[in-house]
Amino acid sequence: MIKLQDVCKSYFLGEEEVKAVDKITLEIKQKEYISVLGSSGSGKSTLMYLIGLLELPTSGRIFFDKKDVSKLSDEELSRIRNQHVGFVFQQFNLINKFTVFENVILPTRYVKSNLDFDPLKRGEELLKKLGITHRRNFFPNKISGGEQQRVAIARALMMKPKIILADEPTGNLDSKTGDEILDILEDLNKKLGVTLVIITHEKPVAERTKRKIYIQDGQLVEKYL
Amino acid sequence: MKPQNDFIHLIKAAYADFKRNKVRTFLTSLGIMIGVLSVVMLIALGLGLKNYLKETFENLGANMIVIMPGSGFGGEGAGFAGAFVGGGVDFDEKDVSSLRRIANVKYVVPVFFKSSLVKSGSNEEYLYIEGVNSDLFGLMNTELIEGEIFSKSDVQARAKVAVIGERAAVNLFGGVEDVVGRTVRFDNLRFKIIGVAENTGDQEQDNSVIIPYKTTFGSMNPDKTFWTIYLGVEDEDDVEAVKTEAEEVLSKRYEEDDFSVTDQTELLSTVNQIFNVVNGVLIAIGSISLLVGGIGIMNIMYATVTERTKEVGIRRAVGATERDILLQFLTESVILSVFGGLLGLLLATLIVLGIRTVFPAAINLLAVIITLVVSSAIGIFFGVFPARRAAKLPPIEAIRYE
Repeated sequence: MIKLQDVCKSYFLGEEEVKAVDKITLEIKQKEYISVLGSSGSGKSTLMYLIGLLELPTSGRIFFDKKDVSKLSDEELSRIRNQHVGFVFQQFNLINKFTVFENVILPTRYVKSNLDFDPLKRGEELLKKLGITHRRNFFPNKISGGEQQRVAIARALMMKPKIILADEPTGNLDSKTGDEILDILEDLNKKLGVTLVIITHEKPVAERTKRKIYIQDGQLVEKYL
Repeated sequence: MKPQNDFIHLIKAAYADFKRNKVRTFLTSLGIMIGVLSVVMLIALGLGLKNYLKETFENLGANMIVIMPGSGFGGEGAGFAGAFVGGGVDFDEKDVSSLRRIANVKYVVPVFFKSSLVKSGSNEEYLYIEGVNSDLFGLMNTELIEGEIFSKSDVQARAKVAVIGERAAVNLFGGVEDVVGRTVRFDNLRFKIIGVAENTGDQEQDNSVIIPYKTTFGSMNPDKTFWTIYLGVEDEDDVEAVKTEAEEVLSKRYEEDDFSVTDQTELLSTVNQIFNVVNGVLIAIGSISLLVGGIGIMNIMYATVTERTKEVGIRRAVGATERDILLQFLTESVILSVFGGLLGLLLATLIVLGIRTVFPAAINLLAVIITLVVSSAIGIFFGVFPARRAAKLPPIEAIRYE
């Protein structure tokens, strides 16, 4: 589904060029359950943003459903993100001035064509599915971290994505809540066949996944040290 | 199906932000409000002044042609002052009778004009003396408070009768009651007051003692001449033709530069022209406050963009395009600006309603349209730079922003 070919991404810190991702070649197949394991600063988050089309590579090519994304316009990239990619972040990244429900249905605001479902109905269903219906009209900063992450997952699922990219989804949660969140994500992969990529630096989290990718200094390595 | 109209969502999102920052929203709009208020007030006062001038001119007689010595009215504008400074010729009865022969002329009023110390009993006051014929009352639509006007035969008989203007009566007698029947003295002549004319709004007319012009033919006016001649025309459409013909008639006796023939619309349009320039300058000065208000909006929008960097990142992650973000911020600045504009308009309307009791100020459709167009334009113009900055934020940096 997603293919990276010699992908590099570099930033400039002042005069100095920093290679966050250095010549990575990688393929992610549909319905896969993958973890990307690396220490902080290893470039794993950048890799996730590249996969999620939030960034374009400095060099190399990325194919999403066999389409070379480097040739796509902002409109088209945004459309793919909207329709096919769901993000889950360590910091939850909910919009605090919107209620839980408004956050969940936010992606439907950016749909440029017609939807094949009723967004309000689906929003309610997702709240129910994730057990946060009672928090429907709360603002995100008034609910617990675990609940916020459930809201974020509901938002990621809103558009029925092909892939969910989770960047340290348990990083801000206690281990029990973290396990619950991972259970939910795994369930999505198993039951709905959503491709799942979890970025983490925690080995126990990575242990749960079928395929593990190790990243160090922006490069894929055989084994995480 | 589509979840919600884009526009409604944009407005809702903007409203959510305004609600969180009520004071800031209000203060930001205040700049535009003051700008719009000052511009609309200037337009309203300008219109009021225009209405006031128009009314005054109309009171002078709608279809009136003024013949004056000299080549048109100078810096002093119209009326008698022009006659004093204009130089040129003095008109006489011959002119009056030849002008009377012009077709479609309804009134011909020779006007002798001077200022005298008028006495009555122990009261005395400097007033204008107007020597005219009885056509004046028809031409000016004179309304009487008391008594009657003098007749043609009074004029022929050189009767020593007078109609006194309301303002003159108040100045001389302290009121208009029991004025009819009293005697006034000036220039060694005694006149019996037979009528009191209601104020017309014309300062000179209202402060005059109006007497038959033939009565002035003595020590007061030994040359039997007039400062000016008014012509009254029945139909407005005939004004031009009568003017042309009057010019022809007079140019048989006088040099063309020695007299001028003007009608009210000409006078009015000249005054309006001068006035429009002055008003334009005032509005331009008022617009500076609009500009300052716009800069205020831009300033706040830049701050808002920085403050909401993370939100921009999140929205981009869930599928917002650069254009979506641009529109979102642009909508906010336009709403801020239009909100301020409407507040300004509302306030201006209230003030105008207040001053209407003393001055005919007015808010017209133009002012409303200007308000809406200008404040939207300011919102767009000053909002587009911050909005572009928001739209161009790299999603990753935005989402990591704390």
